[in-house]
Amino acid sequence: MMNTVHPMIRAMQRRQFLGQSATGIGLAALSGLLSRDLLAANQDSADVASDLPKGLHFAPRAKRIIYLFMSGGPSHIDLFDYKPALTKVHGQELPASIRMGQRITGMTSGQSTFPCVAPMFKFAQHGESGTWLSELLPHTSRIVDDICLIKSMNTEAINHDPAVTYIQTGHQQPGRPSMGSWLSYGIGAETDNLPAFVVMVSQGSGNKTDQPLFSRLWGSGFIPSQHQGVRFRASADPVLYLSDPDGVSRETRRRFLDGVSDLNQMALQEYGDPEIQTRISQYEMAFRMQASVPDLTDLSQEPQHVLDSYGIKDDGVDGGFARNCLLARRMAQRGVRFVQLMHRGWDQHGGLPKQIRGQCSDVDQPAAALIEDLKAQGMLDDTLVIFGGEFGRTVYSQGTLTADNYGRDHHGRCFSLWMAGGGIKPGISYGETDDYCYNIVRDGVHIHDFNATILHCLGIDHERLTYRFQGRDFRLTDIHGNLVKGILA
Amino acid sequence: MSDRTTWLLCTLAFVAVGGIDSASSAHSAEYDFNRDIRPILSNHCFQCHGPDEQKREGGLRLDVAQSATATLESGAIAVVPGDLHQSAMMERILSDDDSLLMPPAEINKPLTETQKEILKKWIADGARWSDHWAFTPVSRPDVPQQNSLWIRNDIDRFVLEELVQHDWQPVEEEGPRILVRRLYLDLLGLPPSPAEVESFVHDDRDDAYEQMVEELLASPHFGERMALQWLDASRFADTNGYHLDNGRDMSAWRAWVIKAYNDNMPFDQFTIEQLAGDLLQNATETQLIATGFHRNHMINFEGGAIPDEYHNAYIVDRVNTTGAVWMGMTVACAQCHDHKYDPLTQREYYQLYAFFNNIDEKGLDGNQGNAQPLLRLPTSDQQQRLSAIASEMTALNESLGQVSDGPETEAATNNIKEQLASLQKEKDGLESAVPSTMVMRERAEMRDTFVLERGQYDQIKDKVVPAVPSFLPAIEVQADSRQSLNRLDLAKWLVRADHPLTARVAVNRLWQSLFGIGLVKTVEDFGSQGEQPSNHALLDWLAAEFVNPSVEGLNQPEIHAWDIKHMIRLMVTSATYRQTSRVSPESYARDPENRWLARGARFRLPAELLRDQALAVSGLLKQNVGGPSVSPYQPDGLWQELSSRGDSKNWTAQEFTQSHGDDLYRRGMYTFWKRTSPPPMMTTFDAPDRETCTLQRSRTNTPLQALVLMNDPVFVEAARKMAEKVLQEESTSRDARLSLAMQLVTARPPSATELEVLQRMIEDFSKEYADAEKAAELLKVGEAPVLWQDATELAAWTMLCSALLNLDEVVTRN
Repeated sequence: MMNTVHPMIRAMQRRQFLGQSATGIGLAALSGLLSRDLLAANQDSADVASDLPKGLHFAPRAKRIIYLFMSGGPSHIDLFDYKPALTKVHGQELPASIRMGQRITGMTSGQSTFPCVAPMFKFAQHGESGTWLSELLPHTSRIVDDICLIKSMNTEAINHDPAVTYIQTGHQQPGRPSMGSWLSYGIGAETDNLPAFVVMVSQGSGNKTDQPLFSRLWGSGFIPSQHQGVRFRASADPVLYLSDPDGVSRETRRRFLDGVSDLNQMALQEYGDPEIQTRISQYEMAFRMQASVPDLTDLSQEPQHVLDSYGIKDDGVDGGFARNCLLARRMAQRGVRFVQLMHRGWDQHGGLPKQIRGQCSDVDQPAAALIEDLKAQGMLDDTLVIFGGEFGRTVYSQGTLTADNYGRDHHGRCFSLWMAGGGIKPGISYGETDDYCYNIVRDGVHIHDFNATILHCLGIDHERLTYRFQGRDFRLTDIHGNLVKGILA
Repeated sequence: MSDRTTWLLCTLAFVAVGGIDSASSAHSAEYDFNRDIRPILSNHCFQCHGPDEQKREGGLRLDVAQSATATLESGAIAVVPGDLHQSAMMERILSDDDSLLMPPAEINKPLTETQKEILKKWIADGARWSDHWAFTPVSRPDVPQQNSLWIRNDIDRFVLEELVQHDWQPVEEEGPRILVRRLYLDLLGLPPSPAEVESFVHDDRDDAYEQMVEELLASPHFGERMALQWLDASRFADTNGYHLDNGRDMSAWRAWVIKAYNDNMPFDQFTIEQLAGDLLQNATETQLIATGFHRNHMINFEGGAIPDEYHNAYIVDRVNTTGAVWMGMTVACAQCHDHKYDPLTQREYYQLYAFFNNIDEKGLDGNQGNAQPLLRLPTSDQQQRLSAIASEMTALNESLGQVSDGPETEAATNNIKEQLASLQKEKDGLESAVPSTMVMRERAEMRDTFVLERGQYDQIKDKVVPAVPSFLPAIEVQADSRQSLNRLDLAKWLVRADHPLTARVAVNRLWQSLFGIGLVKTVEDFGSQGEQPSNHALLDWLAAEFVNPSVEGLNQPEIHAWDIKHMIRLMVTSATYRQTSRVSPESYARDPENRWLARGARFRLPAELLRDQALAVSGLLKQNVGGPSVSPYQPDGLWQELSSRGDSKNWTAQEFTQSHGDDLYRRGMYTFWKRTSPPPMMTTFDAPDRETCTLQRSRTNTPLQALVLMNDPVFVEAARKMAEKVLQEESTSRDARLSLAMQLVTARPPSATELEVLQRMIEDFSKEYADAEKAAELLKVGEAPVLWQDATELAAWTMLCSALLNLDEVVTRN
């Protein structure tokens, strides 16, 4: 049956096929197809100086990023942006000349009054730089000379979903690749044994009813999905499905893989499809990950004083953030390109004083310890560390202002965050807001500018890292973004 | 033309085209405007010299001949046909002066030398423009006069015509076993059983293959296989997607899609019912359910969000999805400004928007489930009880009115009131349990639509009314009293026989699903930035055949216009489809993506089918079609870590509750899809997040995929049940068992060398699992009961079957 083609043609084709495929595809020829560089962005060769690694447009100042994302919108007013004048207007109505009719969220747009609230926390100057910081951040106060505090961040978004999506993907609506996936696509990982882009989530102890996170924040959008962030979790399986089932020993798995590999080699001979060779290699990498990941996450290898410096608590009060900070350093050491920590709980609409104390006690010590640890390891010079959220909070109170309680609504007109390490000027403050912490008066940094600057530190021109989708060359910074030269070292 | 001239032209063509696959120009005269020139102009020039009027520099647009050859504000002429020296465009392109050079350095799109040469040649030859191929009506191309015994139908004549021109030839037909597996996976998404394979292999009828195709097209699983891609296109999910990501239930719509494919609903009707079923006269319940297509988008209820902002997002999503799915147009670009590459203005974008702007919906909704407007779908039991309650309540109310005054009647009145209250309570409870599905429903009063400055929801400019882009065929206005066009007009317009895009775009997607890559690779972009068809004549012939079928075959059911099964039948019965996917190194090097179709397609199965296959070969698969979504195994805490809240109980789909029993073993397309935390097995294998319309999945090959196939409980459990099946069904010998296991997953017995490897593996595993404790541990994975008594034997075979489920040939459609 089925054989309606002339037997001679068939025989000819068969002979020809056998003749060509007798040797299979040379493995040497295939190796070029397998390297992770294949996955990296195609660059016009004319664009790239020959001595730079693939994907880079100029010499990088940082090789990797650790991004400590504070989800929910930490109050810049209570933590970073010191305005002594606020005490004078405490309880008074926010002047229309300051508010300027800007849109506010549906949660406070119906309020009849907008009383200004001075932070109820003391501020003091620290370090040689004399940076003002809130008493809620005693550990961060220790590292002020290593960080660059940006007080003039701004975004158009005023609600969590669009704001977090915006700062992570450069667009308020879903569908775009996240920053980490851009980096994975653009320059790949420094290692074969771990993913280029890792995400770790932790729970805030200050606010248990807080904003959700979404997998799109580390998704790859329209970029091929191998660039999506890999979530590392605090469970027995740090990476999903990493552990073999009970009853499968390492030796059994090795034999299993040897058999699979032998059979796949035969399929490669038969079909000639280089994808098969790639699969063989990926199974080997999976096997290596089964060893390298537990080794990475085994904190018992760290001396006690290091564990103590991060404030890692066995009772989990820190929600896992401290542990994740130390893991981030260990990942950085092992060649992960982009480590994204996401700490929940920063949405203080009400009960701000109590909640923010809890949040700060989660993150202050570990974040400071991370900077000091990276410095001690000689890694701060080529690691870029970022600490910040998706927007700031309003100077006016949400809900009733009492002697010891207040809340603050979302505020995108200005907010603060800090950066440290590779490529960033240490010990400076950048940008300025008005006396109400409401509007920017000098050196505004839009989140597109911020993202452009991050890419710059990594040696990437944000206008040239593009991916063609639906006919358009998309960028992390969309059609915007100006380098913030004032913060570059 | 003298021989000498012909020779010269050919030489010139070769020189000019250089870097491009020169063979592609061998037949057509040298270069083709649409294939070779327009892409250069589009990608490198249109950004400032294209359709976008606002950003147009120097008054020059290069997408229109008239403008390109006219005298510009500066006095220069960009393109003087036939005169390179007078053409300012060439001068600027070739300039050494950075301040004059085009394209300017800052747009980062320099031209290569080859591109410059082609442009030179084109201008020297007279600079002829032609309309963009995809915007011109389809005219049925003549079938090439190729004659070869290889040919099985007209598709092959088009394919062979190209191959011959490339001095190339097709390869042999794939063997029957691999072929039957290919066909089952492509048409049903399920592997054939060994018995089905044997029955085909031993079927001596001349049309055995065609008979099998007919059987598969008639299977209820055909609709499931087809629907899978449509779920991606329609961004189907089980949650609302934004923020708290509450649950929703669109399973009635999913069932509608499956049934529509199974019933072979014509694609024009399929289109009309989904886009505008509610506007059909005397719309039926199923036609209303169909309109869920454009309610599948994400819906927000974030506290504090501004309703207008999200209402705008929903409509934008509908416009962009409609553009991509039906027209292969990247209309989204025109949301903020005139399209940079295609002749779609921003105003026209909002005219399309106006079609979708009149739904009776809220900007913020979905906090507890489906958002309005919705259609309630009571079960017959619920319907009966609700009717009964209604009549009981009517009766009670009447008796309440008839009670006369008096002290003794007070007790009676109270009694009736109590009964009424209790019935009301039952009614409320019942109604809240009645399933619903989201649908389209028009508002009584038309909502105004405005052009939005930079796409900002609160920056309104000119008012617009529904209309279609002017570069496409005009829309027919219904002769009724309506003031303006509506969605039904739009839907009918999309499926007009002379619409240049709809049929091309639809058949291209069918081609993609069977051949792994579209004839137009950019399935979502048929515009100026999209890829040219690899075989334009074939694409147009298929589009023409889709709209006006003319091919007839023996023993086939009646064929109608827009007949999806007819198109699939044509494709899978072609010799092109039936080629082996084995490839020589030379062939591979010449055409790695197989665009010329000189071999069969070979690609990894989509995520859902990997799961379905494992369940099918192990006998675990539950084959019932449709129904609610289910929640098979998932690692603990995945949702919670992202979104746990003190008030989680107030919302839906916040806490993962795993299914048990049969619901663990349904096809992957029924797995509950939480958008903010999709099933990890699916996303690891490139399933999209279902937040926006996806027409093409990436196909990656990663170590995380290996971990899933080795360790995800569904695959370990399937390996165990597959092992049981092998042990039960084949008791004769170890080698017979190994052979059966191999046949279950590949449809073929192992070769002698493969058998040696399998023997070695089962020997190794048998030794290791002689340890009964270790064996018992492995067998614990999964909730399906262990039926094979000998635990050590079962564990060893479980490991072997797991290895087979991990083979490249098994995860691949060969």
